[in-house]
Amino acid sequence: MRLVFVIIAVIGLAVSSCQRSGTQDTRTLTLAINSGVEGDALKQAAKDYEQQTGIRINIAEFPYANLFEKELIDLNARTGAYDLIMLDDPWFPKFASLNVLTDLTPLLQKRGKSGPDDDFVATSIALGREPYQTGALYALPYVGNSQLFFYRKDLFQKHNLKEPLTWDDVLAAAKTISENEASGAPGGGKVYGYVMRAAQGNAAVADFMPIFWAFGGEMFDASGQPTVNTPEGIAALKFMIELGKYSPPGYASFNADEVGAHLLQGTAAMSINWPAWISSFSDPSKSKVTGRMEFGQLPAAKSPGRAEIGNWLIAIPRDAKNIEAAMDFLLWATDGAQMKLSAQRGNPPTRKSLFTDPELVAKFPSYPAQLRSLESSRPRPRTPLWNEVENAFGIYLSKANSGELTAEDAMNQANAEIKRIIDRSK
Amino acid sequence: MARLGSERLQGHVTPDRLLAYLLIAPTIAVLLALTIYPLIYSIKVSFQSNSGTATLQNFTRLLTDQFFLSALSHTFVYAAIALTVEFLLGLGLALLLDSQIRARNVWRTLLLVPMMLPPVVVGVVWRLMLNSNFGAVNGTLKSFGVNTDALTWTASPKLAMASVIIADVWQWTPFMFLILLAGLQAIPREPYEAALTDGSSAWQTFQHVTLPLLKPAILIALLLRTMDLLRVFDHIFILTEGGPGLATETLGLYIYRTAFRFSNFGYAAAMSFVLLIITNIISAGYIRLLQTRET
Repeated sequence: MRLVFVIIAVIGLAVSSCQRSGTQDTRTLTLAINSGVEGDALKQAAKDYEQQTGIRINIAEFPYANLFEKELIDLNARTGAYDLIMLDDPWFPKFASLNVLTDLTPLLQKRGKSGPDDDFVATSIALGREPYQTGALYALPYVGNSQLFFYRKDLFQKHNLKEPLTWDDVLAAAKTISENEASGAPGGGKVYGYVMRAAQGNAAVADFMPIFWAFGGEMFDASGQPTVNTPEGIAALKFMIELGKYSPPGYASFNADEVGAHLLQGTAAMSINWPAWISSFSDPSKSKVTGRMEFGQLPAAKSPGRAEIGNWLIAIPRDAKNIEAAMDFLLWATDGAQMKLSAQRGNPPTRKSLFTDPELVAKFPSYPAQLRSLESSRPRPRTPLWNEVENAFGIYLSKANSGELTAEDAMNQANAEIKRIIDRSK
Repeated sequence: MARLGSERLQGHVTPDRLLAYLLIAPTIAVLLALTIYPLIYSIKVSFQSNSGTATLQNFTRLLTDQFFLSALSHTFVYAAIALTVEFLLGLGLALLLDSQIRARNVWRTLLLVPMMLPPVVVGVVWRLMLNSNFGAVNGTLKSFGVNTDALTWTASPKLAMASVIIADVWQWTPFMFLILLAGLQAIPREPYEAALTDGSSAWQTFQHVTLPLLKPAILIALLLRTMDLLRVFDHIFILTEGGPGLATETLGLYIYRTAFRFSNFGYAAAMSFVLLIITNIISAGYIRLLQTRET
């Protein structure tokens, strides 16, 4: 019988200690961040903030693939586990539709500000509003990524090619380079004119959208019905497949790593890519083409070239335990001084003043190009169903690029599938 | 049982017995919390729409969902091919290493290495090896003068399935081998001696002595591998993420995507149930085969 009491005592202790850890200190913040260069900058900032203010900051770090599901489940279950969350901008409409984020405007007003700082790039701050651009503010932009067009200026000079301003220029240059550089790579192999990511899902869609937009395609019409199979859309996909002929074999399964490897090894001459790769091209230990890569604007076709934006935002969950302290930290981390530190750690800023900051421009010569790209960039179509739509669209893009479907069939089937996704949610 | 029954009748619970109940209570509570509750909860979720109302919609959608039907057929193709190859290779290896060959223990140990690696690591390793431009596989083939231009492995709709099956076979053949080897070693020597006396050939001995006596081990190996293959996820996720297109998208991947990317837990739960039922039916078949032998 004595044992029974021991067991009961142990259980009792366990229960009471659980309760104790449940009560939260108001001087503690918990951040959910992406494990990677973007999250690392915020982690460093958190350390500095702890020292300056004495507020304790817990970091919950997740790989990109798991961050969304972690945040979604916690915010949806209203656990209040996080005071601040980092989110990739395409996730924002989903969180906004679930109404799980804190409206930041009243918090700004309490601090004597009528709205967010004018210094933020308009296309970046627009991402944190619901509805897009015009609605209430739920998130501030922290990392200002948008796509750039990477091309080898040495090869362009060698073959008397002009700067690729249109997709036709790109195709012609890809053809010239592929045909004339059969052993022009630093390792002696072939240089492919172009390299793209066409693995199904995010990769194929991200590389296709700038072509699709430039060709005059639109994913949805004004009433929210999918319109990817318009003649413009089909022409854009046909163009992508044509360009794929000058891309290394197997590009239908390429992701960022493969594209990066080809560019760094000097085995491909052009690509759409993200600013995170830029610094590698000035590092001889990573790049065989140091100093030979140029970073320009997305090429145009029927419409001007526009990059896809991919910003990291920071938001405060509606059920955060410590909203006021979280807002103080959010403003501090996104102000000019802190964001400059983050920029020096390798994250493109979201403030105009930093893109033109002489010290930063000296370190990152591509900043003027990045600012132009960011200011003219477009978000992915804003729908809470984006993950599902992107998945379906990416599957058909990948099928068309791997030769399984024609461009027409792929776009018609993609359109039907996206329509099913939209209809199901009604 | 008799004692327990009489106690219950008399309504006596001795302190000893009470203590026993108390001691197993935490285990039962954990079991309930970790397996029974989620199971019942997921049944409930599978009959709910995203807004929480009761519906059969998740199950009716299964019948018309192209992605689901293709994932289901890919799962079967994957499981059937991988199972056959793993079984034949595993059996061959087990027979080989059951005989007296040199450095037998070294071989056995080496063979078990792939099984000990996390499937994610296996996925990454094969992804690198199968890379059509820089990978070791095409590099090796090239050095033998093979034209590897068309061998784009994970990017080709046809070769992608082969790629993920090769990785599975590489990792899990040792598992088949291990169980079959254990089975072989449990067979007594007498039947073999009898067969030898009767002058039967090696093939006859294998066919009439080894195979029947190995049947329980074979069935258990097949049963465990089948259950595992039907719910395959990790290394495909790393190697191809289901692509190109839908070429290697199995049910496990589609369920993951539906639940965690599209946050449609009801539909994911409904698909999981279909998978559970299919796995159960197949497993019941194996178990029945096992039992027919015993009676």
